[in-house]
Amino acid sequence: MKTHCSHQPDCLHLIQRILDKEATAEEEARFLANKDQCLPCQEGHELEVALRKALKSKCTSTCPSTLLESIRLKISSIVLLILLLIPLFCWFI
Amino acid sequence: MSTETSSAVALTESQARALFEKEFVPHMDAMYNFALRLTNDEDDANDLVQDTCMRAFRFIGSFEPGTYAKAWLFRILKNNFINDYRKKSRGPSKVEFEWVEQSFAGDDDPEPAFQADLQAETVNEMLGDEITSAIQALPVDFRMIIILCDLEEFSYEEMAKILNIPIGTVRSRLHRARTLLKETLASYAAKKGYKTDMLSA
Repeated sequence: MKTHCSHQPDCLHLIQRILDKEATAEEEARFLANKDQCLPCQEGHELEVALRKALKSKCTSTCPSTLLESIRLKISSIVLLILLLIPLFCWFI
Repeated sequence: MSTETSSAVALTESQARALFEKEFVPHMDAMYNFALRLTNDEDDANDLVQDTCMRAFRFIGSFEPGTYAKAWLFRILKNNFINDYRKKSRGPSKVEFEWVEQSFAGDDDPEPAFQADLQAETVNEMLGDEITSAIQALPVDFRMIIILCDLEEFSYEEMAKILNIPIGTVRSRLHRARTLLKETLASYAAKKGYKTDMLSA
């Protein structure tokens, strides 16, 4: 197995595009065929996968239910105001 | 009555409410998380999401059902953040912004190092708040694009629309953001005694 990759910057771009689902099927197949023979590409791929997994498990949060309720309440107030203003506006003109 | 308000009331009250519940409410967690990561403050995140929802509701008449509501909402949230919250948020210093802008000079500037001093195993071992801290330490434009791509899984095209930048800039910004994230994590790992190795060797 290769311990040095002579196309490292290109390979890293490709790994990221594959994981971002932006690479073509051909590019993905080419990378997968090469990956088993290239240690830096293999480790680079594992690192990118690990980072995405870590981000999803550590950097997510849930919207407080009080916030959603407060937004619904505010929308109701605006709708009510509009419903009151339209007849007044029509009557005025 | 403003154009925006009249576009909102072009739908009936019940139609607008139903559209809001069906198309917008499912994305509240994602919107709140995005707002929290941008502002670094729960109160500011609450205000930012509320302002975004109110603005989205005002413009609900211009939303086309069947199109991707999440991308539409994220674009409104991003614009709100840039216009109203960025100045007061506890964001990166001026020096960091200048560095980011220099980094975006073009797609032809020198490539960053292939790999930071970091391994997948090290990232998997990080049980504390290193990941969250590393994300929060990124300049806001880098933080924004990593969250949009790696957490919310927007396509490059959708991110280009949300951020109002060309797809080429999405690619290069994303690549640089990830490089910086890895470098930050590698420095945390070295400080805390996690195993690190030079992958580029």
